[in-house]
Amino acid sequence: MSPSVTAAPGAPVVDLDLADLRRDPYPAYAELRRTAPLAWVPSVGRHLLTRYDDIVRAEKLTEVFSSREQDSLLLRTVGPNLLREDGPEHRRLRAAAEPPTRPRQVRDLWAGAFEKNAHDQLERIAGRGEADLIADFAEPLAAANLALVLGLRNATADDVSGWSRAMMAANGNYADDPGIWLRAEEATRAIEAAVAEVAETVRREPDGSVISSMVHAADPVDLAEIQNNVKVVIGGGVNEPRDVFGVGAQALLLRPDVRERVLDEPALWKRVFEETARWVSPIGMYPRQLTEDHEIAGVTLPAGSRVALVIASGNRDDSVFERADAFDIDRPHRPHLAFGGGPHFCMGAWVARHEVSALAWPLVFSRLKGLRVDDSAEDRMEGWVFRGLTSLHVTWQSA
Amino acid sequence: MPTVIFQLPDGTQRKVTAESGTALMRAAVSNGVDGIVAECGGNASCATCHVYVDEQYTERVGPPTDVEEEMLDFTAAERRPTSRLSCQVPLSDALDGLVVHVPEEQV
Repeated sequence: MSPSVTAAPGAPVVDLDLADLRRDPYPAYAELRRTAPLAWVPSVGRHLLTRYDDIVRAEKLTEVFSSREQDSLLLRTVGPNLLREDGPEHRRLRAAAEPPTRPRQVRDLWAGAFEKNAHDQLERIAGRGEADLIADFAEPLAAANLALVLGLRNATADDVSGWSRAMMAANGNYADDPGIWLRAEEATRAIEAAVAEVAETVRREPDGSVISSMVHAADPVDLAEIQNNVKVVIGGGVNEPRDVFGVGAQALLLRPDVRERVLDEPALWKRVFEETARWVSPIGMYPRQLTEDHEIAGVTLPAGSRVALVIASGNRDDSVFERADAFDIDRPHRPHLAFGGGPHFCMGAWVARHEVSALAWPLVFSRLKGLRVDDSAEDRMEGWVFRGLTSLHVTWQSA
Repeated sequence: MPTVIFQLPDGTQRKVTAESGTALMRAAVSNGVDGIVAECGGNASCATCHVYVDEQYTERVGPPTDVEEEMLDFTAAERRPTSRLSCQVPLSDALDGLVVHVPEEQV
C-alpha cells in the first residue's frame, strides 16, 4: 500500500487557503459539512471528514482508519510512537504509559503539586496588575505540570516549553525549512538525554511518573520507546491545557453573567471545561490512512487514502449541538470529540481537566481582583490543526 | 445468545441480543442504544459507558474489575453500589435476561 496523495475518485475537490484556515477555519467547516462532508483539499493533501457522525464512525473503525500514517512529519520528528500505532502495539505502549494519568492517580499523586505550581506561577505575576495569561501563566504552568507527571525532574518548565515549541513547529514543517528541523533535532536530543538519566534513577526508585511506569511496565518497553513517547507527550502536552485555559478564561471574561454564576457555583467549572474544549478544540484534526477500500460520506476511498478527522468541525455540527457556534455552558450534555475517541482517547484528559478546571481557572479568577481583558490589546485565536489564543492580555488591581 | 434489556432514563427500554463474550458496552453501541457513549472504545479510560445493574442481577454480574474501580469514582452520574462500566462486563449465557439502567448523564 503506497500513500495516496491525490483525491479519491468521486471525492469533491475543495480549495481552501491555509492562511484562512489558520485565521478562522469554522466558516469553511460549516460549508464542508453542508456541501462536501468528505472533500479532498489540495493545500492540505488530505481528505477532510467534517461531520460528527462520520468522524465518530471512523474513530471506532481503527482497523480501517489506521493511525500508521506513512511519511508523517510526526514520525520524522520523534520516531515511532504510540500516536502512530494501532492494535496490540499501541495497547502495549498505552498500557505502560497510562497509569499515572488516570483520575485517581491525578487526585492522589499530582493534585497537591499541581496546586503548588499554580500558586507559584500566579505569585510571580500577582503584584504586576497586568499580564499575558498565555505566556506568563498558562504555558509555564502546563509545562511545569507536564514535567512533573512525566518524571522529568531534571528539566525546567522553560526547557519543556521550548522543546514542545520546537517539535510542534517541525510537525507542521510542510515547507521543509531546515532551521525548523535543526531546532527540533536539538530538542529531541535533549529530551533523549533527560529521559535516559531519569530512567536510570527510577529503575532503582519508582516514583509513579510516566517514565517510571514505562520503565517498570509488565510488558517491557525499551529506552528508545520511552524516549519517543515522552517526546510525543511533550509535543502535545503543553499547548492543549494552555489553549483550553486561555480560550475558556477569555470566554468568561467576556461574559460577566456566566462568570458570576460560575464563581458562585464552582461545580460549573467542569461545564466550562467541556464546553470550551467543544467550542474551540485545542486539537482541531488528526490524520488517518485507510488500510482498505471503504465508503464514507458518500465516497469510496481507496486503500492508502489520507483522511483528516476534523474533530473541531464535528464539535460545531448543528445536527448534534444546537447553535453550535455559541459558547453555552447550559447546552444539553452531548459528548464532544475534543479528546478523540477509541483507543487513542486523550491520555491527558484527566490531567487537563484537573489542572485547568479544578485549579488554574478557579485560582486566577478568585486571586486576581477586578480581573478584566485589556481592551488596548488585540488578542486573537490562531490555528486549525491546533487552535488557541496566541495571547490573553488582562489587567487587575494589584494593590 | 444472551439478551440484555437496557432501561433508558426516559422510561423506555431496548432489548439487545449479542454473542457470549461480547462486552455489554459493545452490544449497546453496535445496536445504537442511546446513552452509552463509550468515548475510549472499551479501554476503561473515559468513564462514559456507565450503567446501574438491576439489583436482581448484581450478584451474577459481579464486582468491578481493578482498572474499572477507580474510574467509577469519576462518572458523570452518581456512583451507586450497582454501578459498572459496561465495557468491563462480558456477556454470557448466565447473564441472559440481564437488566441494566442507563444513567441520565455520561459526560
